[in-house]
Amino acid sequence: MNNFSVDLTNCDKEPIHIPGKVQSHGFLLAIDKTNYSISYASENAETFIGTAVSNILDQPVASLTGFIKQQEPDFNLEDLLKLGMIRKSFDAISPLPVEINNKAYYLIINQSATNWLLEFEPLTLQYDIQSSIGRSASSMLQGKSVPALLKAGAAEVKRLIEYDRVMIYKFLEDGHGEVVAEEKEKHLEPFFGLHYPASDIPKQARELYKLNLTRLIADVNTIDAPILTFRENTPLDLTNSSLRAVSPIHIQYLKNMGVHSSFSISLISNGELWGLIACHNYSPKFIDYKAREGSKLIGEILSSALEFRQEEEDSEIVEGFKDTAIVLAEHLSRDQYLVDALTGHSTTILNATQGAGVAIIFENKLKTIGNTPEDKDIWELAEWLKNNSDESIYYTHRLSEIFNPAKMYKQVASGILVGSISKSPDEIIIWFKPEQISKVNWAGNPDKAAAPSEGLLQLSPRKSFEIWSQQVNNTSEKWLPEEITSVLRIREIVVAHINKKANEIRLLNEKLQTAYEELDTFSYTISHDLRTPLTSIKTYAELMLKNKSIDENGQKMLARILTGADKMNFLIKEILNLARVGRLEINFERVNMTSLINEVTSEVLTAYKADKAELILGQLPDVKGDKTMLAQVFTNLISNAVKYSSAAQKPRIEITATENNSEIVYAVKDNGIGIDNRYYDRVFELFKRMDNVKEIEGTGVGLAIVKRIVERHSGRVWFESKLNGGSTFYVAFKN
Amino acid sequence: MKTPDIFYVEDDTDYAFFMQSAVQEVKDTLNLTIVEDGKEALTKLQSFVDSKVKPKLILLDLNLPGLSGLDLLKFIKDIPYLKSIPVILFSTSDNPDDVKASIEFGANAYLAKPNGYENLVKCLHSVHDFWFNQHLRLN
Repeated sequence: MNNFSVDLTNCDKEPIHIPGKVQSHGFLLAIDKTNYSISYASENAETFIGTAVSNILDQPVASLTGFIKQQEPDFNLEDLLKLGMIRKSFDAISPLPVEINNKAYYLIINQSATNWLLEFEPLTLQYDIQSSIGRSASSMLQGKSVPALLKAGAAEVKRLIEYDRVMIYKFLEDGHGEVVAEEKEKHLEPFFGLHYPASDIPKQARELYKLNLTRLIADVNTIDAPILTFRENTPLDLTNSSLRAVSPIHIQYLKNMGVHSSFSISLISNGELWGLIACHNYSPKFIDYKAREGSKLIGEILSSALEFRQEEEDSEIVEGFKDTAIVLAEHLSRDQYLVDALTGHSTTILNATQGAGVAIIFENKLKTIGNTPEDKDIWELAEWLKNNSDESIYYTHRLSEIFNPAKMYKQVASGILVGSISKSPDEIIIWFKPEQISKVNWAGNPDKAAAPSEGLLQLSPRKSFEIWSQQVNNTSEKWLPEEITSVLRIREIVVAHINKKANEIRLLNEKLQTAYEELDTFSYTISHDLRTPLTSIKTYAELMLKNKSIDENGQKMLARILTGADKMNFLIKEILNLARVGRLEINFERVNMTSLINEVTSEVLTAYKADKAELILGQLPDVKGDKTMLAQVFTNLISNAVKYSSAAQKPRIEITATENNSEIVYAVKDNGIGIDNRYYDRVFELFKRMDNVKEIEGTGVGLAIVKRIVERHSGRVWFESKLNGGSTFYVAFKN
Repeated sequence: MKTPDIFYVEDDTDYAFFMQSAVQEVKDTLNLTIVEDGKEALTKLQSFVDSKVKPKLILLDLNLPGLSGLDLLKFIKDIPYLKSIPVILFSTSDNPDDVKASIEFGANAYLAKPNGYENLVKCLHSVHDFWFNQHLRLN
């Protein structure tokens, strides 16, 4: 009939709904809907009804009347089938208690394409099970959480069918299964928490579990009965059959576990197979049809409760994520620093996913919460992400297989979910999920001898666990769509926040820029306009001094006016210089520093009449820059050196330069009064003069000009100094 | 009409006063004509052309109300009769841009106004020595 040969490689293709065999604890007849004749019969029917199958095949259904007795006197199978057809269902008819050779049986009728399936199985239950099912349901529903509900469900099924082990087996996203609840006899090794690879329950088996909600394998050691027919090439579809024989692979699987009888109840949630209640007995144990139907009812109640509770729990998770986003948005609006807002309170970005750790990299700083790889590993990972992902969101649940260095820390970071938070690819948040295997508890003793590892025999729970372990090696739990949505939400909040801040800074910058330009123009104009009346004041004073009729006192006062005017004039000139540095364009050329420095020093030394100062000049390499401005820089620096060392016994000024690949650094060193380092930051500020130089002439503009010129040359200026120990000013120019 | 030795355009009456005084100090026979704005200067310059008399030296303040020193400079250099007269731009500004522009427009010299009276006198001595003695010798 059916020559499909089965091995492990084609497990997924085995046509198990048309096995051509039934389990032999009952027997099957098929009745052709068109002519009410017996179209198929299982070979073992003979042992029940006492006549060879060949005698009844293709005979009218009425021919069975002699073999099968019903409690009601005028039992007629044909009428029964017609009744079922009119009602379009046999639910009200099945199971029909009948008697064959003085033994009680149930007749269960189902549809199969153009046939009716008539299955006879022993009636064993002597009491009514209905009332105990009601009690089971209500005690089961007291479980508040999903795990409690499952545990109670398993307990109730176990009570009802009295099997050695009842497990609730949940199908996870990738098809693999996990035992999420278990009720068992004490002496049995627990399977709770074990994971099984998807291949343990192949896809077409899962489809059948959706159509046929219970499945009994009464005894794995009995020999199946073949289905006989005279119809060639039209195997009987046994989808709705409860006697349907079991795949040899599955039988072997059960045998490996020492299971003699197996029973399963499908748990359906939102139209999908959520899981199974899998029941094992370690000796043959048939379950009466009514008990099976009772279990099915418990399964259905559990399914709908699950659906509800799971939705409740899922929506709790989603609500939790949403709350996190709201709280973080509040922190961001209140806190000064972004990273503090996201990590510093009781609700943090860690709450945005179900990850076990999170890292944020912002403004070149790294901050982590929870279980994360080490900082150096995160930096390396971030660098890799920068080069390998230009998406705003990136996630994987098998990082170490894509990014080799992650093997070192796969225990904590097999899963990563990355959200960029600014235009810079360096600024990101990474959530981490641990490797799944490290989360799983192996309930049994993994060293206990497993079944021989050849051929079909390799299937066993422990082997399954090993297979699954290999499959999930290097992987974390997958990132849920809810988690990704949550990260997108957080990302949007953070990005909007950063943009807002950036915008504020940009506007401020523009305002500053304008203000700066205005200030330059203003200082230029004001200085210019101030000079004209100042010149008049000075000149009139000079003219009056020429007047011999003014007495000595008047002469003195006029002299004071002149001094004041000169001071003011000098100050204005300096401000004018400073403003001009900002306004003028830089004329880059190669400047001969030896001649520039020589000119400047001789001018300065003359101006300050510093004949006794010793001047030491080192190598003075050429510099690229604006000659006039460079002269200003060195005039200021050398003037300072001369001025502030003038009180020294032997003033010494050294001007040297060092050159490396990128910079030429000039140093102007004196042995003068020095600068108190407490005021380091104020030295280059406009009009800031140190306490110890009050006696020395100066405006506080010189170093501000130096700084401005050097900055306009993209150079650097700094100093080293000690109070009363001299100062060295350094100017670095780009080479 | 008496030919001025120096024709000076200056809106700052104080400075005009200093100049007058300083010029006398350099050489009391030097004849200085001062006008206060560009419009007046134009009229005067035109009268030089018409009467065929020309000053030996023209000093122009750069910043004048209305017509600027540079405008006057252009005007002078465009008129054949006047263009041979040495013109010195005279300003408080020592802005290199101003100096550059003045020379480009044909100024013979650019002088930043000296600070104080003594300096002004010194400056005018130099001007006098160069433009009235040496310069004449060159001619």
